[in-house]
Amino acid sequence: MNLFYHDPNQGVSVSWNTFIDDISNSQTFNPYCSSDSFYQIFKCIVLSMLIQEPIILLDADFSESELFKLTGEKSFSKFNKRIKRDIIPVIKNKAELILSLQNTSVNWDISLYSSGSTGIPKKVKHSFNSITRFVKISERNAKSVWGFAFNPSHMAGVQVFFQALLNGNTIIRLFDLPANDIKRSIKENKITHISATPTFYSMLLPCDDSFPSVLRVTSGGEKYNSKTTSQLSLLFPNAKITNVYATTETGTLLASENDIFRIKPEYEHLIRIENNELLINNVLMGNSDFSFDEWYRTGDIIEVVTNVPLKFRFVSRKSDMINTGGYKVNPFEVEEAILEIPNIKNVRVYSRPNSILGNIVCCDVVCDNDVIDEMWIRTFLQKRIQEFKIPRFIRFVEKIAVSRTGKTKRN
Amino acid sequence: MEARVFEIINTVLSNRSKPKISSLKSEMDLRNDLGMDSLDLAELTVRIEAEYDVDIFEDGIVRTVGEVLKKI
Repeated sequence: MNLFYHDPNQGVSVSWNTFIDDISNSQTFNPYCSSDSFYQIFKCIVLSMLIQEPIILLDADFSESELFKLTGEKSFSKFNKRIKRDIIPVIKNKAELILSLQNTSVNWDISLYSSGSTGIPKKVKHSFNSITRFVKISERNAKSVWGFAFNPSHMAGVQVFFQALLNGNTIIRLFDLPANDIKRSIKENKITHISATPTFYSMLLPCDDSFPSVLRVTSGGEKYNSKTTSQLSLLFPNAKITNVYATTETGTLLASENDIFRIKPEYEHLIRIENNELLINNVLMGNSDFSFDEWYRTGDIIEVVTNVPLKFRFVSRKSDMINTGGYKVNPFEVEEAILEIPNIKNVRVYSRPNSILGNIVCCDVVCDNDVIDEMWIRTFLQKRIQEFKIPRFIRFVEKIAVSRTGKTKRN
Repeated sequence: MEARVFEIINTVLSNRSKPKISSLKSEMDLRNDLGMDSLDLAELTVRIEAEYDVDIFEDGIVRTVGEVLKKI
């Protein structure tokens, strides 16, 4: 199999040999990697590993103000540097590339931004070992064709990328494509593996067709949805369906065939439960700008099913973060952006349960100007925050409800 | 009711700078003909729920405009 990456919508099709040539002929490198092209991002990650330079992934749709808040930088072109010819190792073929990547230097790391639960997104840094901890390399995986259904600058996307890369697989872009194109692409490219959010799968339903080429289906990033999962087995009759729990800080941590997670004995001492909250030992974490104690509080509330062996299911989130289709939205960040509008006197951003996305971001605003309408606010926010953070339902109200303790009510 | 649903659909489409529709036909497919993605469908659900108190996607099998109208 020689195809490395195929993006039907951008008309990109790249073989492994071309990929290797493109990397070998790179002349510049910028550690801040942001691009609409998934191929550019993949190339930048691999180049950074070969030249042993750290890399920082940024979403292509971050606004200028978001970028400045995250990085403290207004422009990134000044970080471009020329690569000396002899720094990139000579690589002849796919096998040599994979071998070289497996020996990535301990000095290399990759940083991503997690949505953060305190109002400030966190930069989370992973070494080669921590980002590939759950990558399975085997003969059996050598022929996999991956349907790529995540944003490549997010943790889940990076993990799928490494799983495919280190097994020398083919990657087919499915992320952000219309449902019919996804279905066509799965068939045409004989995709064998898909990892995505429940929202991604629910967009494929209802569907009269089935996709026998798919052997593994992984679902995660949102609360388990038993209805979607049972429909998935009709869509993918030959697939083993797995539900995973992952965070940007830890990567994929737990896997299960239903909503009950069983902890492997070797991990049991790295998991702790306190007041029904899941705590993870810091040996499983990447490094963050924020120092963690020995135990990282996930903010996920669980219900223990059995103690020996330890089995539990996720019940809810402790934090105010809104999970909308697998994307985490911080209501404080959205409120702050809305309050930049001079005539908005008060705002409340909250989530409403939604059968498509799990939750949907909504807001109430108090405004003393008749000219400002929903469209106006939306257009204003488009320049400030990413699309998925913009409330989908904006209501104009007289006053904002507060709880008895004076806090804005969020539910 | 049809006129209101027509208005709601156009609000959802214009919110994401997608082309509005000039008339509502029951055979129109929400995903394929109107180009709605998961965010749009979620917004459509919330707006219809706010007015008619019905979650049109509760059982996950709404495909066309006609099916939406039937649920309300």
